[in-house]
Amino acid sequence: MSDQEQFVMAEQADRGGAPAVYVVGVGMTQFGKQPDRTPEDLGREAVWAALQDAAIDPRKIEAAYCGHVYQGMAVGQRVMAQVGLAGIPVTNVENVCSSGATAIHGGYLAIRAGECDVVLALGVECLTGRFRGALAPEEGDFEALQGMTMPSIYAMRARRHMETYGTTAEQLARVSVKNKRNASLNPYAQFKKAVTLEEVMASRPIAEPLKLMECSPVSDGAAAVVLMSERAVRALAARKPTRLAAVALLSGTYEPGLTDMAFEPLTWRTAQVAYARAGVGPEDIGFAEVHDCFSSAEVLRVEGLGLVPRGEYPRFVEAGHADIGGKLPINPSGGLLGKGHPLGATGVAQVVELVRQLRGEAGPRQIDGAKAGLAHCRGGKAAGIEGAACTIAILTA
Amino acid sequence: MVVNAESSTWVPLLPGLLRQEDDGSVTLLGSRCEGCGTTYFPAMKICVRCLSPERMLSAPLSRRGTVYTFSVVRQSLPEFPTPYVLAYVDLPEGVRVLSQLADVSPEAAHIGMEVELVGAITRKGDADQPEVLGFRFRCVTGKGS
Repeated sequence: MSDQEQFVMAEQADRGGAPAVYVVGVGMTQFGKQPDRTPEDLGREAVWAALQDAAIDPRKIEAAYCGHVYQGMAVGQRVMAQVGLAGIPVTNVENVCSSGATAIHGGYLAIRAGECDVVLALGVECLTGRFRGALAPEEGDFEALQGMTMPSIYAMRARRHMETYGTTAEQLARVSVKNKRNASLNPYAQFKKAVTLEEVMASRPIAEPLKLMECSPVSDGAAAVVLMSERAVRALAARKPTRLAAVALLSGTYEPGLTDMAFEPLTWRTAQVAYARAGVGPEDIGFAEVHDCFSSAEVLRVEGLGLVPRGEYPRFVEAGHADIGGKLPINPSGGLLGKGHPLGATGVAQVVELVRQLRGEAGPRQIDGAKAGLAHCRGGKAAGIEGAACTIAILTA
Repeated sequence: MVVNAESSTWVPLLPGLLRQEDDGSVTLLGSRCEGCGTTYFPAMKICVRCLSPERMLSAPLSRRGTVYTFSVVRQSLPEFPTPYVLAYVDLPEGVRVLSQLADVSPEAAHIGMEVELVGAITRKGDADQPEVLGFRFRCVTGKGS
């Protein structure tokens, strides 16, 4: 570990005395293609559902953080105006695919700092009106000018994993089979039907070796959570508090040189901060929602988190260990591949799933006996930078 | 794909990215830290590895490299006709460059392939705007698949 990383970890390790944070209400909309719905409409539905779930007076909300990527100026205020919460401090955050998780991070910090006791975090995204295929990278970025697409980046990383560890295209495809099967058990998911390995393998190639069914879809949706300090949980008699033991946010470093693209230092670094803050290790995590924007991405995430040794996750999936009911269920909600990926909403929806699982409210996809869950988001790519933002939340029952 | 040496109406894909030699070939222009020797492409003004106050020097890069990884891209943005082979190419200076491969079929591309730099017009010029000069890597002659 470099001096700089040690510094980051010392700075971000758990601070004694800061208030504990809880998630007391969760809500989300259906994810999927909903071109007739506006961000205000989706956001209102998710926020209202979270407030109803928390069973609190909306006027108790002291501040709101809204994650989005493409929803334009002040989308958070536009949503808040729909639910009678205009006037409170609203912060809009863009951190690519980690935007929603960064909104939760903002709320978490506000409570930890002692500035707020009740905070709303939401994420909202309407994409179907804007994109039909791959999302456009940032104009003027060198790699974007060379023809880089997000699928091609994860395809090239997949090929390094195959070269280094002997991973096969079928093993990667099994990630999609698993996640779409989980999604078929989730009423909020975009994809309602399980698919076979043969169907994934026969789907149209997008960026070889990745095929259409190994890419997350273009989606519309919103999700929201109500966060509270321990003091507010007691004072307002919150019914179903789930401990938000840690939220960590880091950015990718600028790495000149010949790095190993079959591994993700950004995910690893962020995980070390999250584990240190929560006072747990990877061995304590019972299940995880990870940022499976592509099948190969799930491999890189799980190995970067240290949940499975490097190079072993594809065989772990093949053996069924990542299934609901397996040793370590990964993406029980269906993940981005199955549930859908409305960018700004994704990180918040991951925490919604963690809370439902830890409360025992996940219905047919319920994991037995889960005590700690982890949500991992990661977004963005620019020339020289491994990834833009990575966020990890750890929740405990 | 060969650049017309007589042409004087081109602009580089990004400012300072490359130069055209007298014989029409192109050279990629990175930067190298006098302090720690780290090489960057595209060029950087500050060495982010050592943060030393040493000067950053312009560094013409080697023309030959090796494919580190690649993908055959079948779906892309409208300005990039598909399919194309996209690759990360490792250069001897310790620099990894993202580039399309020219004249390499999807079946022939492989990790470890030896490739060399070639200039490429990435946008045609017209009355209103100059043509844009970028680059590709192609298989080193006689060392293909």
